[in-house]
Amino acid sequence: MAEKKSYDRFAQVFDFFRTGDMRRWGRKQKQHFQQMRGKVLHVGVGTGMEILNFPPDLDITCVDLSPKMLERARWRGTQYQGKVHFALMNAESLAFPDNTFDTAVAVCVFCTVAHPVAGLEELRRVLKPGGKLLMFEHVLSKNPVYGLSLRFMSLLTEALEGTHLDRDTVANVRKAGFTLEYEKNVYLDIVKAIAAVK
Amino acid sequence: MNFKVIDLIIGVFSGILIAFAVCRIVPAHWNMLAGMFAGGVIGMALKFALLILLAPFFGAFEVMIPLSIIAMIVGMTSGMAVSHGGIPQALIASGGGTIGFAIAVLIYYSNKKLVTFK
Repeated sequence: MAEKKSYDRFAQVFDFFRTGDMRRWGRKQKQHFQQMRGKVLHVGVGTGMEILNFPPDLDITCVDLSPKMLERARWRGTQYQGKVHFALMNAESLAFPDNTFDTAVAVCVFCTVAHPVAGLEELRRVLKPGGKLLMFEHVLSKNPVYGLSLRFMSLLTEALEGTHLDRDTVANVRKAGFTLEYEKNVYLDIVKAIAAVK
Repeated sequence: MNFKVIDLIIGVFSGILIAFAVCRIVPAHWNMLAGMFAGGVIGMALKFALLILLAPFFGAFEVMIPLSIIAMIVGMTSGMAVSHGGIPQALIASGGGTIGFAIAVLIYYSNKKLVTFK
């Protein structure tokens, strides 16, 4: 509940703080998301900045646990050339039947989800067999210097907004039962594009 | 402007700014160990301020990683230089800028080596 309130507060300035990331990563996100097919689930949509990097003509269901974030994402959804639906939902307990979606997408979400492996298992449950998980996430660097900086900063970001900078999301994807297709480094070995299959 | 150039400019100017701030705050002829510690703390405090200011425009991680390293190294070395005494402020500030530039270049090449998503 506290998590939800903090995202509601952050919704007002979210776009401003993510502008630089979108400028840096926009082209690579577009390239990575070209693989999106059929019925798509976008978890932790936030204010919907990434929707504009998705290929057109998809049927996308966007979920987030913050009503304020969803409010802002809705107008972005109107600019997308395809179907977009929005639902207030926690990534760890999705109200969809098993084997519903062809693709699941997450952008900088599993650094924040309280129980990342449980959240990923939930995504696996709602994906159809052979369905694809596409992620754009930041993880802990294996380089000791960068790793130390991230661990130090993580103390602050965890306290402020619940974001963990020291997670091994690639390992979590495997733990949740996905078969990893690839992990590509976007910035150092910290920001990664990840593709996995159920 | 190209992000490669922006990253270098951020590196140089954050180095100069941190070194200059340490020169203004840490008293000359202090114990060098205390100066180094104070410089590190000032560097870290400025890092957070610069991060909030720059990350929205130039990307959170691309700003955070170099700034963290620059703040610590420049803060500590500048703190030692100031407490040693007799070193002109301009020289300490330009040293900070040089360290900032060197770290930005090192991270550029490290990134070039690590990135697999072309």
